[in-house]
Amino acid sequence: MDLVRLERAVIGYRTPLLPPLDLAVRSGTTLGVLGPNGAGKTTLLKSMLGLLPLLSGKRVLPLGRSPRVGYVPQRDRLDQSWPLSVLDVVLMGRTHLLGPLRRFRARDKKRACEALEEIGVGELAQKPLYTLSGGQHQRVLIARAIAAEPELLVLDEPTSAMDPAAERVLLELVERLKRAHALSVVLVTHQLTAVAGFATEVALVDRARGLFEIGPAREMIDPQRLGHLYGREVRVAQVDGQTAVVIGPATNNDPPHASAASEKVRRR
Amino acid sequence: MNAFADFWAGSELWREPLLAGVLAAALLSYLGVFVVLRRMVFVSAALSEISGVGVATAFYVGAVAGIDPHSHGALPILLEPVWFSLLFACAAAALFSLRPGHRKLAAETIVGLGYIVASALVLAILNSPRIAQEAHAVGDILFGNAVTVPRTQIYALAAAGAVAVIAHGLFFKELLFVSYDPETATVQGVGVLRYEVLLNFIIAVVISVATRAVGALPVFAFTVVPAAAALMVTENIRATMPLSIAFGIISAAVGYYISWIEQLPTGATMVVVASIFLLPGLVRLAKRSTV
Repeated sequence: MDLVRLERAVIGYRTPLLPPLDLAVRSGTTLGVLGPNGAGKTTLLKSMLGLLPLLSGKRVLPLGRSPRVGYVPQRDRLDQSWPLSVLDVVLMGRTHLLGPLRRFRARDKKRACEALEEIGVGELAQKPLYTLSGGQHQRVLIARAIAAEPELLVLDEPTSAMDPAAERVLLELVERLKRAHALSVVLVTHQLTAVAGFATEVALVDRARGLFEIGPAREMIDPQRLGHLYGREVRVAQVDGQTAVVIGPATNNDPPHASAASEKVRRR
Repeated sequence: MNAFADFWAGSELWREPLLAGVLAAALLSYLGVFVVLRRMVFVSAALSEISGVGVATAFYVGAVAGIDPHSHGALPILLEPVWFSLLFACAAAALFSLRPGHRKLAAETIVGLGYIVASALVLAILNSPRIAQEAHAVGDILFGNAVTVPRTQIYALAAAGAVAVIAHGLFFKELLFVSYDPETATVQGVGVLRYEVLLNFIIAVVISVATRAVGALPVFAFTVVPAAAALMVTENIRATMPLSIAFGIISAAVGYYISWIEQLPTGATMVVVASIFLLPGLVRLAKRSTV
């Protein structure tokens, strides 16, 4: 079952960013949206969520309504100096469930605390936001998304500025939440390692090359495709059952300024 | 003690201006917490100036049409400066809610441009020979004097306050969410534009009414100083808001009293008293910086 589908969708603000694309977020899958900085990933995400109107094509909602979304924004876009407690922030995730004119009730607070416990930061509930480390703040934002009782969990660059160990821990947490809550996950990132071991489907995006490809992760995490995306030599290897990706020196083929004439759209 | 007795004896004279000052300070200090946290301090300055353009325009239109805005009849009611002031301020608030921006100009620059153009317009209109005779009255309406305040302005302040309190009572969680994280609020289907317009309208109405009652400088100061002082010493928004309101009320009351006793300009004295509340936060900041 698809939660959201884009059909022959042309995305962008005024001018098309990518060639017409087809994309589906399927129930129970993890879709990794991968591309260099400034590739158009966030624009694709906004179009997928219906926040940005399509220039042409269709956004289809097979459920007959928008799926409930738990959203984890880029951490550095939020001001950590607000005089809010962790619980205040997590409760925000339940605002749309209550609707206007109603205050948070004991049940909402209980659910918010449960989400914090589940993420492993239950003891932080009453802490001021500004006292949190970057990793704790990220977890609080994930707890807020879970408190929203989502069907679709969307994470925008969740592992940027994280060391490899912290990145791994966070992605394992997302995987655990996905199973526990029967979620679909969309993971937008420019970090190959974040996608390599966790996504079941991968979309490669680069507006500079007019590139959009989507398919199963085992096909998309491929040296040739990734090399084409990054303009560099890429090696992919299996180490102890995990996918490792190594970026090598630059290649000369298909430079980043390739025109729209070199559009390559493949759908798998 | 004699000074206080003298002050008390003159209660007939200060009761209404003091009430207006305290009401304006309480409302603006509350809204100021949102204004400061949302990094929109200059929006309040711009709204104050733009509502001034409304007042000046009402007089100018009246002068061109040969109608005195203070005379009686149907048309002068439409030319009442307060309507123009509210209309201009609300239109600007709606525009600012759209977060206007340009590839090379941040939304903040556009707010600054609004402030500059509005200030220039007020000056130009006030110095027009068409309203030369009323320039002083227009100046009082524009900038207030916090010494004499008609009862109608207290009613207007009370009404604006009631609207602000009711709206915030009903929609506080939404206003907080869209102010803190508009991106996630949008994704989760909370109508961000709707609540931003509501918040900016309330700020515009309160600023517009309060500017007429107590003057432009205290209005700008009450929107920024008590909230900034409270934010520097608190870590919980539920404590920040009452503390900011308390700072505002004390600044207005004590400032008015000192200005009466020492015969100082009322608005400026209120602002100086409000600034004293910044000291604990600044001391705290200095201590942290030296660690």
